Amino acid sequence: MAKNITNKTLIDLHACMVRIRRFEEEAGKLMEDGKIPGALHLYVGQEAVAAGVMAHLSNKDQITSTHRGHGHVIAKGGQFSPMFAELYGKSTGYCKGKGGSMHISNMALGILGANGIVGGGPPIAMGAAFSNKFRKTKQVAVTFFGDGASNEGSFHEAANMAALYQLPCVFVCENNGFGEYTRQTNHQAVTDVADRAAGYGMPGVVVDGMDVMAVYEAAEAAIKRARAGDGPTLLECKTYRYYDHVGVRGMGLTYRTDEEVDAWKQRDAINSFEAVLLKQGVLTAKKIENVYARADEEIKEGVAFAESSPFPTEEDLLEDVYFVGATS
Amino acid sequence: MQAVGLVANPASGKDIRRLAGKASVFDNREKLAIVRRAVIGAIAAGATRFVYMSDSHGIVKQAIAETTIPRGVRFEALPSSGTASAMDTIVAAEQMAQKDCAVVLVLGGDGTNRAFVRGWQDATLVSLSTGTNNVFPVMAEATVAGMALGLVATGKVASRSVASQAKLIEIDIEDEEQDIALIDAVITRDAFIGAKALVDPSQLKEALLCRAEPAAVGITSLGGLVRPVSDQDDFGLHLTFGEGGRQLFAPMGPGMFSTVNIGKTRLVKFDQVVRALGPSVIALDGERERVIATGQRIEMRISRRGPWVVDLAATLLRAAKRKIFLRTM
Amino acid sequence: MSEALKEGPRMLPYVSAITEGVRQVLQEQDNAFVAGEDVGQAGSVFGYYQGLLAEFGDRRIVDTPISEKGIIGLGVGAAATGCRPIIDVMFMDFLGECMDEVANQMAKMRFMFGGGATLPVTVLTMAGAGMNLAAQHSQSWEAFLAHLPGVKVLMPSNAYDAKGMIIAAARDDNPVFVVMNKMSLAMQCEVPAEMYEVPLGKAAVVREGTGFSIFAMGRMVHEALAAAKTLEGLGVDCEVVDVRSIQPFDSETAVASIKKTHRALVVHEAVRFGGFGGEIVAQLQEEAFDYLDAPIARVGAPFSPVPYSPALEKLYIPNAERIVAEVKKVLGI
Repeated sequence: MAKNITNKTLIDLHACMVRIRRFEEEAGKLMEDGKIPGALHLYVGQEAVAAGVMAHLSNKDQITSTHRGHGHVIAKGGQFSPMFAELYGKSTGYCKGKGGSMHISNMALGILGANGIVGGGPPIAMGAAFSNKFRKTKQVAVTFFGDGASNEGSFHEAANMAALYQLPCVFVCENNGFGEYTRQTNHQAVTDVADRAAGYGMPGVVVDGMDVMAVYEAAEAAIKRARAGDGPTLLECKTYRYYDHVGVRGMGLTYRTDEEVDAWKQRDAINSFEAVLLKQGVLTAKKIENVYARADEEIKEGVAFAESSPFPTEEDLLEDVYFVGATS
Repeated sequence: MQAVGLVANPASGKDIRRLAGKASVFDNREKLAIVRRAVIGAIAAGATRFVYMSDSHGIVKQAIAETTIPRGVRFEALPSSGTASAMDTIVAAEQMAQKDCAVVLVLGGDGTNRAFVRGWQDATLVSLSTGTNNVFPVMAEATVAGMALGLVATGKVASRSVASQAKLIEIDIEDEEQDIALIDAVITRDAFIGAKALVDPSQLKEALLCRAEPAAVGITSLGGLVRPVSDQDDFGLHLTFGEGGRQLFAPMGPGMFSTVNIGKTRLVKFDQVVRALGPSVIALDGERERVIATGQRIEMRISRRGPWVVDLAATLLRAAKRKIFLRTM
Repeated sequence: MSEALKEGPRMLPYVSAITEGVRQVLQEQDNAFVAGEDVGQAGSVFGYYQGLLAEFGDRRIVDTPISEKGIIGLGVGAAATGCRPIIDVMFMDFLGECMDEVANQMAKMRFMFGGGATLPVTVLTMAGAGMNLAAQHSQSWEAFLAHLPGVKVLMPSNAYDAKGMIIAAARDDNPVFVVMNKMSLAMQCEVPAEMYEVPLGKAAVVREGTGFSIFAMGRMVHEALAAAKTLEGLGVDCEVVDVRSIQPFDSETAVASIKKTHRALVVHEAVRFGGFGGEIVAQLQEEAFDYLDAPIARVGAPFSPVPYSPALEKLYIPNAERIVAEVKKVLGI
């Protein structure tokens, strides 16, 4: 599995997770400081999933993301400047400030949108996968969704159709143990969403979503399978969100204990990966430091770009509701 | 009366071999149903005391909740390690060793049994397969397994008359915690534990096997198709991979055949030390488990210091001969 | 077409006009396909895809499970990635199963993405009462589709428009709903064999008149025409405007008609309360208040689900008599 995995890949995986972590930490602060309006659902804790899966996708491959989507966008190639600009609601954002955190998208990067609707993504990814098969390309569509979304009918319909048509579609369930503030045991009778795969006639796999190499290997197999025309896979990654459903510590709720959060932090994907990379001499403490420094530099640039960018104007309000112009 | 231990691994039967190979998901509702049937079987054979691992999915707890339990039958949940990892099984095994369990039902694959034995090395086990690579556990009807559990726990059938002690591999890793394997230990070229399964034959360097079973899948079959070693044999097998002029076409996993270059093979006596050196990832019973640093030393030895394995057929045969289930009207 | 028919006008029923429109789109656009429930082997429960599976194969005529969320999602995802799907929602009532995919995904994707996505997807769906199919297979929901910025909504009242609107919708780079009428399937009119478009956003004056304007939608156009005939006998010269395009709405044609007649009535089969007729009335009073000599009347279904019993359904569906009665009320005759 991990055959021929180069040091470059390992370094990229690590940098990707660090960039997501730092972006999110900073975005959370900016939201708390009132600089970013609206609601942010932060990805901190789940970085290994986005990094491990996206390592096998090119810009041509499509993803659908979730309300907790910044990590996916970054791992798929999203740049900090237009991302921060979007969060600020500026016209230089990926969506010209019209989508915001829950709708960041970029078609050139194959991002068919974060999605404010829980369960909104799977049918769209299935449709993109249908298109890939119809157009006879080798593209793969990956849909990210949570344990909460796995209870939506949209997931069921998309999974059934993807299996029925043997579409190049990978269903990545990021099981972080909570649907918003409701613990998984209170929202579904199964603990492994992957158990449902058999019911659709597709393989289901559970991996440790706090281990980037476990995600990397499993995603590699699932994406290869999809690309080869062998159909969809349900890949469940067991993970955890360190912050609240919204914001950093949005509502001060008691739906989980600090001990529980700390126990998961003990297994932090970035820390444990760094430990292995240090043990194997792939990275040094100095090099790791540089990765954080570079991410922070990117953040500084991105925030400055966002803050100096103009807000959209009245002229932009009605633009992009419809396609206007010659038929493509 | 001595207790029956119950361990169901919620994580077994779900790994990447569903993709790399053609294994199917072993869903937890089915594990729950197996526990129910085993409990019913054990109670029918007279068991009245059960001690169980509080698994992270509540499999056993829910199985009990869904079963009509006769008066006088007691269940005790053991406190969990709370890690939703192999540590749950290890900690449960340690506790069961202290709880006077005559016999333990283990649901999982080779990996689950290995974890249990790490916590309680000479336990008496009835191991049913709900995993992927299943050399150690057997495929059997849970009701029958439950009857055997009950017969042994009540003493109606003497444990030592129907159980035999298994071999195991003890692995000493320099400066680190010791480990064990029930079937095989493989030194690989891998750098990561990752998704755990061993699927790429070119990553294999050498393997020490206490069982080389031709009628199985996984590393054991690589040995088994070259030089079979059964559970009864008081020796093991050492294999090196790479140049050796022999190519083996064998099932590396369920539905997954590979061509493997076989180097040298030699039989290994009990307690004969086999040494290896990092860097490596060592795979135990088919799963990558430990990262070995450059220069770190490993010593492995095979012995018959493993768990006691109950022979289900022999147990039920004894029950039949003693007319244990027969009542005269 | 048989040789005998070649001489006279080429008459085609609504159902065959749908087939012809879809066929010509599939011939024209390599990346177009039809997907929906029973579109392939069954050729649609209304029969309008008959023969297309044999002609185009199952790559392009795709039978789907009964999964409206999945079907619309398929249309959205495929349209955003280079296909031009024609999605069939068997009964318009079933849009309830996929309101999110329609309202939150399809309608908004382009805007939310700052114009980054283009969704050339056509949805064909069947509305209307009259077949005793009761409350969940008879509704007319065009108003709530028209309330969603990002989608376009067409309502062909006849075979010519059905074909031309399907072609126009399929050539448009936006999500377009073509809301068809199940009671109109057998209605014939002249339909040219070649490809043509009925332009979006253009109403049609189907009967010219100077005394009164009737704005009708879908099958109600025919009831309006019948009413106009009756009213002619009473000395009222009615103009009948087939609204055709709900979104975008052609207010220009409507205003021009009012300027001529000064009195008007809107009629649709949908429930009157909150129906699209209210929007037409509002726009006319905004843009042509000074030309109005009387309040604009509205005819629509009563505020009730569509009933099953033939006896009740007859009372429920608006018809020519009710239009006549309302017009007379406005005119005080």
